[in-house]
Parts: sequence; structure tokens; C-alpha cells
Amino acid sequence: MRRKLYLLLGLLLVASMVLAGCGNKATSTPAANAGGGGKEVTVTIGFTESQTGKYNVDSTAQTQGLKLWMEQINAAGGIKLSDGTVVKFKAVSYDDESKADKVQQLYTRLATEDKADFLISPYSSGLTSAAAVVSEQYGKIMLATGAASDSIFKKGYERVYQLYTPASHYLTGAVDILKANAPDVKKLAFVYENSKFSTAVVTAAKEYAAKQGYDIVLFEGYDKDTTDFGAFINKIQDSGAEAVLGGGHFQDGETFARQIAEKKLPIKFLALLVAPPNPKFAELGDAALGVVGPSQWEAAAAYTPEAAKKAGLTWFGPSSAEFAKAYKEKYNDDAGYHAAGGYAAGVVLQKAIIDADSVDPDKVKAALDKMDILTFFGHIKFDTGDAHGLQIGHEMVYIQWQKEGDKLVKQVVWPKEGATAKLLYPLTH
Amino acid sequence: MKSLRQHTSLWLSLGVIVVMGAWPIITGNALSRETMFTVLRSVALASSLNILLGYTGYVSFGHVVFFGLGGYVGFYLIAVQGWSLWAALLAGGVAAGLLAYLVGAAILRLRGAYFALATIGINEAVRAFINNFDPFGGPTGMTLNFKIYKLYGGPGAALQLAFYVMIGLTLAVVLLSYWVRTSKFGLGLLAIREDEDAAEVMGVTAPAAKTWAFVLSAVIPGMIGAIFFFKNGTIEPGLAFPLHTSIEMIVMIMLGGQGTVLGPILGAAGYEALRDYLLVSPVFKNIQLAISGILLLIIVLFIPRGAVGWVRQRYAKVRRWLI
Repeated sequence: MRRKLYLLLGLLLVASMVLAGCGNKATSTPAANAGGGGKEVTVTIGFTESQTGKYNVDSTAQTQGLKLWMEQINAAGGIKLSDGTVVKFKAVSYDDESKADKVQQLYTRLATEDKADFLISPYSSGLTSAAAVVSEQYGKIMLATGAASDSIFKKGYERVYQLYTPASHYLTGAVDILKANAPDVKKLAFVYENSKFSTAVVTAAKEYAAKQGYDIVLFEGYDKDTTDFGAFINKIQDSGAEAVLGGGHFQDGETFARQIAEKKLPIKFLALLVAPPNPKFAELGDAALGVVGPSQWEAAAAYTPEAAKKAGLTWFGPSSAEFAKAYKEKYNDDAGYHAAGGYAAGVVLQKAIIDADSVDPDKVKAALDKMDILTFFGHIKFDTGDAHGLQIGHEMVYIQWQKEGDKLVKQVVWPKEGATAKLLYPLTH
Repeated sequence: MKSLRQHTSLWLSLGVIVVMGAWPIITGNALSRETMFTVLRSVALASSLNILLGYTGYVSFGHVVFFGLGGYVGFYLIAVQGWSLWAALLAGGVAAGLLAYLVGAAILRLRGAYFALATIGINEAVRAFINNFDPFGGPTGMTLNFKIYKLYGGPGAALQLAFYVMIGLTLAVVLLSYWVRTSKFGLGLLAIREDEDAAEVMGVTAPAAKTWAFVLSAVIPGMIGAIFFFKNGTIEPGLAFPLHTSIEMIVMIMLGGQGTVLGPILGAAGYEALRDYLLVSPVFKNIQLAISGILLLIIVLFIPRGAVGWVRQRYAKVRRWLI
């Protein structure tokens, strides 16, 4: 019996090794197949998603957004080019496990075996950076969504395009809000998570604030697993700061906001990264009231064809409300900015193919370089200079938790064009 | 002929590596190259750890610290100081070896679970240090400018070069592992593994032997870190010191057979092949982690000595030359 089990195990291992060694040709798919009559072309979009690991939740939302776009465009009959060709889309994806180990291997597989015509980035700047080396090597266009790092775009890449507002502008809007609404505030404290993303964001915001004449009285990072912010809150109080900016991710941001309220820290303004836009932030109750947070996208932000006309931009794609409704219908979940980013990557690719009137990578690249549009996700325009591909059009939307009767609601307070309410100032806890 | 048979394990091990390295070069297939790069990286890391774990009997859960530190030092020298890849590779190896020497002198006095825990602590401490060390970019890490690849003939040629370097490092680690296993020094390590106190009574200078085993097991992971992150194009603390990589290295050694030269090679290659297959298989890709977990569990339960250990136990005749 035992011998049979060993034999079975051995066979299983050998089979798996042989299959992996041969490059698993069974899963390979052709790129743009000419369909019936040569008039239908199927474009393959390749990407990795974090089905497991720490980026799982955000990455899944991003993929769902992208897949929703693909489903809609295919159901609508694809993109029709002027020569009568119909372009349809299909996706090939693998699990990157939220780890950098296999990202380059999987993107090489997407570019060579699966013959992906266009690539979408993995979630997070670290994984995107590794994938970009491969996409650039094979001359593939990669739309980077879920990656806010500036540094990827200062490496001399030619075919990587960013959708998110880069980290260097992620929190600078909070300084603008202060300037416009709180002329009495002079002293700022930055307390942030010691991670790649948060540090890049607050360092840029700090420089911006200093240039605006603010006095930075505290600039201090905390470890990613911090649960007790007592020492930091005492330091803020000692420093005499009137406004606090910082945070990192959801868990720490939520705890930080709660403890600030519990200790009744006498500050007038609090802006935190990532946590406030999440609907779960409202579970804090009154501690959430007045907290401001930047978001890449909010369903309530008023990006409309009319706003495009006013700004002298071309409008393209569905409205925020249409996207949010379709997403809710399909996934029975409210769309957050990760999902919107995934969908927006599809919309941008769609617009570039229409403008290029072709799926030829060089023509699509030229169309992306020229792109200057307003979509449900916001303004999209790419740098074509030294930081080629860096997002220079998109602006963060700032939300604030306010009260409507007894209920906490998320209001957009910045930029003014998209605002749904006035800033609640100063903090009242 | 006699010497050939005497060194069967070495020829077999080198043969396996050469075949794995030559396959992508002969076929010119970029995907095979990427796949084999990952496999060889695992083979080299597992074989390095085997010097400490397999021969000396000390389980290090934080061995990835040498990979990360070597990666950081190499990356910094290439990206910021403009050193050539070769000098940076050496520096990565030296930095890892130096850390092992300094740390080893202190923590190798601990035994069993205490040593294992201390190694995790070292990994976390180095990660925390780098997180706050501004020349290495702190928490944001560093990125490599694309033009640096152009010095090596463009990104395609740089990736190819990284693969050649990885083949060279893997061959080097196998030679090192074989030398340790068959030398008097290695015999001392095996004696320490069986009974450290008895070994000392028999004349083995345990602290020195253990420290050198630790250093030897650290140098090549440092160089692998340097070449891996050169190819990766970016480095940050989260990518450089993943604890799970240490654990995977131990699993690979257990699968293939600890304390043998060939074991970690087969274990690492088998583990990577299995994971790669499951990762992209249309049937298994959504449940790949669960399937690989179950398979590993079955293998560890039924073949606890690993593949090579099992063969050695079952077939007495091969025991002499299959080491």
C-alpha cells in the first residue's frame, strides 16, 4: 500500500516537473487572432493579480474593475476601427502572491507565451517596478494602476503609463485645503507609517508645506504594526501643532484617528492617508467626524461632460454614477478607488486604441502620449519628458466625514470643482 | 574511472545544474530562462543554507537576511555609486559574509530553538535598520535607472547576463557544498551535528567551525541578492527580507534531503517546478497554494528524510557515492 502511495507521489512530482519545465505550452494562447473574415481582432490584455497575500483585497478590486470594463466593451460589440476591424478583448492573468519573486517570470510568460498585446501592472509600486523592466524589454505598453510611486517613472521607461496621482502629489492637496480654509494654522505635524508609500507621500507633502510657509514642528514615522499611538499623540501635543497630516494604511490610520479623539488632542485639522475614504472608517463613530482623507476616486466627485467642457478637455467614457451602478450590480459591492483604477485602465486603453485607430503598439503609444482627457476617474494626461509616463493630469479628491442629521456621511471637500460640501473646520472632538 | 565514481554526487549535481542552465540558452526561450533563473536561485539558496542546516545541524529561520543585505549593498553600489556589476557582486558577498562572521560569533553559542529564534531576530533587526537608513533609501528603497542596463547591452542583454551569473553562482555553491561535505572541516561539522559536546571532546573547535560554516553559507546568498535585485530593478525592505523565503529554503532542503549535496538541488528544483506548474495551470491556478501545501504535507509525512535521504536509506549500495 505504502509502495503504491510513493509511486503515486513520485509520478505526481515528475509530471508537475515535466509540465513546468516545458513552459506549460498547454496554457499558451495566441495574441491578436484574426477572427471570422479577418475583421475581428481579439486583443490579449495580460496582468498579474494578488489572489493571495497582503495585497489581495485591493488587487482583487482592481481586477474586478478591469474585468467589468472588458465585459462591457465586448458586450457592446468591441471597438470599431475606421477600416471596419472590430477589436475585442480577452484577459490572461496569474497570481503573483503579492510577492516580487515571480513577477518578472510571470510577465515574461505573459509577453512571450501568452503573447499579450497590452499589459496592466500588478497592484503596488514595488511589484509594478519589477514588472516594468520586463514590459519595457519586450516593448509592451503597460498601464500602471495601483502604483503611485514617482520613482518608477524616473528610470527612463518609454512604455509605462501611470493612472494614479503620484505619491509626490498625494497629500499636497491637504496643504492647499488648509491654505484655503484655515489661514490661522501655522504649525504642522507629520506622523506617518514607516513604509515605502507613506514615507514618499509625506516627504513630498512636507517639502510642499515648507515652501508654502508652514512651520513643520514634528516629522516622525511609526512602525507598521503600531497599535498604541500614545507616545506620538503626546509628542504632537508638546510640539504645539495645530494640524496633523500622515497615516499609512487602513488599520493604523483608523487606530490613530480613534486615539486622537479619545485623548481629545487639541488640533484643528486631521488628514490621513488611505483609511478615511474606506466606508468602514465610519465605524469609528464621532471619532471619524471631520477627518479628511485623499482618495484617487470617489463616486460623488462631480467629473462630468459639463466639467470637461468648462476645463476645455475632451470627455470620454461613462460617468462615475454609471460605473458605480454597474459595479454594484455585478459584484454587489460599492466600488472604491482601486476598482475605479482598474476600470479606468481599460477606459484609457480603449480611448488610445480609438485615437490611434489601430492596435499597433507604436500608434497606441503615440495616442497615449498625446492623451489629455477627462474621464469618470478624473483628468488623465501623461508626462512625455524626462519622467515619461508619469501621471500629471489626475488630482486627488479629498473627502471628509461629516454629519447629516445623526448619520456620518462622506463628503467631497476638495478640489472645489468636485466638492459636494464645505470643509467642516475646525475639528470638534 | 575510480575517481569518477568517487565523485559521483558532484558530477551528478553539476550535471543537473548545467542541464538546467543550458536548456534556456540552447532553446533561446526567454520564459525558460526566467523560470530557470528562479529555480537556480532557489537551488543556490537552499544549497547554501544546507551547509549550516544539513551539515552542522543549526536551523536558521532568518537566512534570507544575507540575501537581502547582499542585495542592498550590491544595489547601492551599482545604482548610487556607479560601481560595475562584478565589483558590486563581490561586495554583496563580502557584506553578507561579514555580517555572518560578526553575528555568528555571538548567536552560534545558542543551540536548537534558541538559535532559530535568534536568526529570526537578526533578520528583523537588519530590516528595521535598513528601514531607517537613509543612504539605502529608508522605507522607500532604491530604483535602478534604465540607462544602467544599457551599459550591459540593454535590458534584454542585462537579463541574459544575470542568468549567466546565476548559473555561475549555483555551480560555485555546489562545488563549495561538495568540498565542505567531503573535507575534514566538513567532517567536523557533521560531528557537531550529531553531538556537539562529543565533537569538542574529540578535538573539533566547535565555535570556530560553526562560525566558518555560517560565513560560508552566507556569502553566496549575498551575491545572489546582488544579482537578483540588479535584475529586479528595484529594492525595498519588504522585498529584500521576506521571512517566507527563509522558510521555503528549509522546506526545499527537507524535500530533497538535508545533509546531502544533491538533496537541496533536487528539493529546490522540485519545489519550484511544482509551484510554477500550479501557479499557471488553468485547473489549479486559483487554488495553487492549497494544493502545493497538501502535496508538501504528504511528502514530509511519508518521506521525512527527503528524496535523496530516502534513496540512501533504501538502497545500501548507493549510500557510499550518493552524498
